[in-house]
Amino acid sequence: MKERSSLQVTLHVWYALFMREAMARMSGDRFGWTWMLLEPVAHIMLMIAVREFMGRIRFIPGADFIPYLIVGLMGFFIFRDAATRSMSAINANSGLFAYRQLHPVDTVIVRAALEGVLKTIVFMLLVVGAVFIGLNIVPMDPLRVIIAWLTLWLLGLGFGLVFSIAVTLVQESEKIIRMMMFPLYFLSGVIIPVQLMPHSVQQVLIYNPILHALESMRYGFFPAYRSIHGIELMYPMALSLGMILLGLMLQVRLKTKLMAQ
Amino acid sequence: MIDVRNLYKRYHGPFGGDWVLKDVNFVIPQGVSVGLIGRNGAGKSTLLKLLARMDTPDKGEIITNSKISWPIGLKGGFQGSMTGRQNVKFVARIHGGEDRMQQIIDYVEDFAEIGKAFDQPMKTYSSGMRSRLAFGLSLAFDFDVYISDEATAVGDTAFKKKAKKAFRDRIGKSSLIMVSHSVGILQDLCQAGIWLHQGQAIWFDQLDDAIAAYNESTNT
Repeated sequence: MKERSSLQVTLHVWYALFMREAMARMSGDRFGWTWMLLEPVAHIMLMIAVREFMGRIRFIPGADFIPYLIVGLMGFFIFRDAATRSMSAINANSGLFAYRQLHPVDTVIVRAALEGVLKTIVFMLLVVGAVFIGLNIVPMDPLRVIIAWLTLWLLGLGFGLVFSIAVTLVQESEKIIRMMMFPLYFLSGVIIPVQLMPHSVQQVLIYNPILHALESMRYGFFPAYRSIHGIELMYPMALSLGMILLGLMLQVRLKTKLMAQ
Repeated sequence: MIDVRNLYKRYHGPFGGDWVLKDVNFVIPQGVSVGLIGRNGAGKSTLLKLLARMDTPDKGEIITNSKISWPIGLKGGFQGSMTGRQNVKFVARIHGGEDRMQQIIDYVEDFAEIGKAFDQPMKTYSSGMRSRLAFGLSLAFDFDVYISDEATAVGDTAFKKKAKKAFRDRIGKSSLIMVSHSVGILQDLCQAGIWLHQGQAIWFDQLDDAIAAYNESTNT
């Protein structure tokens, strides 16, 4: 066997894990690929139906409702799924720690990466599809969209790295984290426009980093879009880097404990 | 050569924390295959894990320049929902074997001799089939030292013969450190012995002496 540098070993491990996770996702259940595309579409349809039946078609400043919804949902999903899928990676792959070149943190990073790739493909398909049926969802500032999208993924990775420690060491915490994702969905301006909320509520929601990233992404899509005052992409970016650093530090410190679980 | 110095290991947790290994010292010379014996819970698997660098000792160190395999055992290392072939591919990839993938797969398929089961999920395998695949897979890579945790115990006669031949072919190049409760396979494959007793490791140049000492301790 050839001598490999540490970087090469890590890249080989990531590649091997990625192929394995991708295989498992594609062939895991009967739906496989279709479900990945169908789930967000079904979600969007449901939300449109809910809105129609409620009969309260409110005006969102500078954006049509369906494009607004697609951007918000997919942006939230990449964060949520990157975080929740990667946080259970260590438990799911505990059998593989027999190979010493594989560290617990590798499984977390690779799951987040796979989720990022899949969600990006689905998002692009959705946007192209929406453009084809005549919706006004061509991004006016694609670079801004890409940066906001990456920020949401990095946030998911950062929280995934930290959550994976909690979930692996204290199994019960997984239920609590998954439950917290539900209120977060409503507090991030995914379906309920944050502009329509009372000022006092906005003052609290402004601490939610996902809200900042979602609104920034909408600014990139819709040039006339007007959100609340104080939206700053720098905040979720800095937070995601902080969380990634914290997560990596904990992963190094607690490596043997994570492997022993 | 593997030089083990002042090795201490214990597991913390709700079930106490006695030393599993307490001041363990020995040197395994290059090319010498060693059988690890001792009663259940004596720390054999723990020592193997430490040698394979799967776990870290609490005190002491293991000094070696040999390439050591992962512990080839009955559990772990494979994903049950994936086929034998997919698992082989995964292990080959993390060991940097992407460019000679076909060669590795052919070798394992040939060594394991499990026929069509190679393309079926590994959860359908019997323990004998698993150990054939696991052992063949580790032999597809050129390690200096192979670590086997009971992997050979469940094999049939044909498999044991095959394993024996594989190591006979590699004499001088690679050696084996193995745990097994079947004396026959140990005598076939190993020269020296280590008897783990009350946290201590006692080295014997001749495996038979180690087995004799172990038998004596269980009889009294």
